[in-house]
Amino acid sequence: MHNVTYVPKRLLEFRNVTAIAGVGYTPFTKDSGVSTLTLACRAVLAALEDAGLTADEVDGLATHRVGDSAPPTLVGPALGLSDLAWHLDQFGGGSVSHAVVGQAALAVAAGLAETVVCYRAINARSEFRMGGTGRGVPVSPEVQYQAPYGYVAPPQQFAMYARAHMLRYGTRAEHFGRLAVTQRAKAVKNPRALMRTPITLDDYLSSRWIAEPFRLLDCCLETDGACAVVVTTAERARSLRRPPVLISGAAWGGGTSHLSGAGADPTVTAAAALAPRLYAQAGLGPGEVDVAELYDCFTYSVIVQLEDYGFCAKGEGGPYVESGATALDGPLPVNTHGGFLSEGYVHGLNHVAEAVSQLRGDAGDRQVPGAEVALSTSQPGYILPATSALILRRA
Amino acid sequence: MAYRPEPDRDSRPWWERIARREFAVQECASCGTPRFPPRAFCPLCRTEGCRWREVAPVGTVESWIVNHQPFVPGRLDPYLVVMVRLEAVSGCLVYGNWRSERPPEHGERVVGTFTEVTEDLTVLDWAPAAAGGVHGHPSGRTSLQ
Repeated sequence: MHNVTYVPKRLLEFRNVTAIAGVGYTPFTKDSGVSTLTLACRAVLAALEDAGLTADEVDGLATHRVGDSAPPTLVGPALGLSDLAWHLDQFGGGSVSHAVVGQAALAVAAGLAETVVCYRAINARSEFRMGGTGRGVPVSPEVQYQAPYGYVAPPQQFAMYARAHMLRYGTRAEHFGRLAVTQRAKAVKNPRALMRTPITLDDYLSSRWIAEPFRLLDCCLETDGACAVVVTTAERARSLRRPPVLISGAAWGGGTSHLSGAGADPTVTAAAALAPRLYAQAGLGPGEVDVAELYDCFTYSVIVQLEDYGFCAKGEGGPYVESGATALDGPLPVNTHGGFLSEGYVHGLNHVAEAVSQLRGDAGDRQVPGAEVALSTSQPGYILPATSALILRRA
Repeated sequence: MAYRPEPDRDSRPWWERIARREFAVQECASCGTPRFPPRAFCPLCRTEGCRWREVAPVGTVESWIVNHQPFVPGRLDPYLVVMVRLEAVSGCLVYGNWRSERPPEHGERVVGTFTEVTEDLTVLDWAPAAAGGVHGHPSGRTSLQ
């Protein structure tokens, strides 16, 4: 399907001209004890150190947030940066996480900036809990048609879509469970992961209900931590400390609302509309993806993306996971770090950083041998009708 | 407790109708396409201007959840939220609490039923069509906005 999508020539010139030259993390915890500003600064400096750059060379900063974190206009001055040539303070949740990196790549490709650090700093456990109880109602005109029914939180919304998929395609709890178990097995091999004790399908099935059909182990961790990546030109990245990882494709958009309005098929996400455009940009198809870091706010979001990004037929996501395909030694290792379910939840940026790690070959015990192409994705466009994703390639 | 809806400038007339136990959707004044939720523009012909049309609150069950986590402070008992494909507006999904002793079934035909949450808040919930909602026979009349 990827080779029938028309891609303007100018867009093809964007392929592989920018790169990720470094990644940085703070530790992932349940209580960082510091501000998101501090977390952001730590991750930004760690990513620069990884790339072999100093903060003096940064001329762009970018982040996404929902009013819960430090913007570039605070992080820049806090690091002594004045006159940033470019910055982006993107409002939005997980669905825009990869658009931030994509827009940084655009800025670099266009020459607006040369070294942009994209970061996400979040105290999602000790301060603003994304799926928290009693957090108040999100600000959106759509919410008025749902909140009065006690339908307000992402675990409820994704559970609703998950059941629609179960009813339509026969997807079962065991499929969700197998995904959770498989991702935990990868986290066991990841020193950074918050959850490193193996779990079984029985552990999954006996975990408490959150919102049926979701149990506790369907839900991602709420995490304190930060993650950052350095985006620069491919040419410059080649002269830096670490092997560059090329940005082959970056796309965002797609889809229609699953809220009250244009209620499309609730078993199809915005990723289905975006995927052909993304693959065409990168000049490859799902069969050439070696590693996929798929936004796993919940187990189900991975299953539906496996379908919508074309790794299996519509409705086959559950059996695909059950077959072991997404395990570390399977044909498509998915969420090699353990994902948000087991590594930690840094709202999309830790998926990008893990993809970079895999393509550089420095993922340690969880390394996928010979990984050359990675797909990394954001929240697939439930809640709001847009998603974003990157295809990265070893240089 | 329940979260109160916060009507905006687009939706206030709709909520006023709900308070009167009237279920209405907008109908484009130019091309006649019904739409929900309330908006100024018709997404099909992109013109402003609409009529309110009272319609039957009927649809089919697309999905549901049984909530256990107290996302709403103080609301501790499990409750069921249903997602309904509304018959009156093509492709439209609406939500509500489930008003029946038994769980819903996939594709089941359902009817809206008004619930007075508090003295000054009425919402539309859903119940099995067989049991009969309070709103089986809409007048079908329209009114200019």
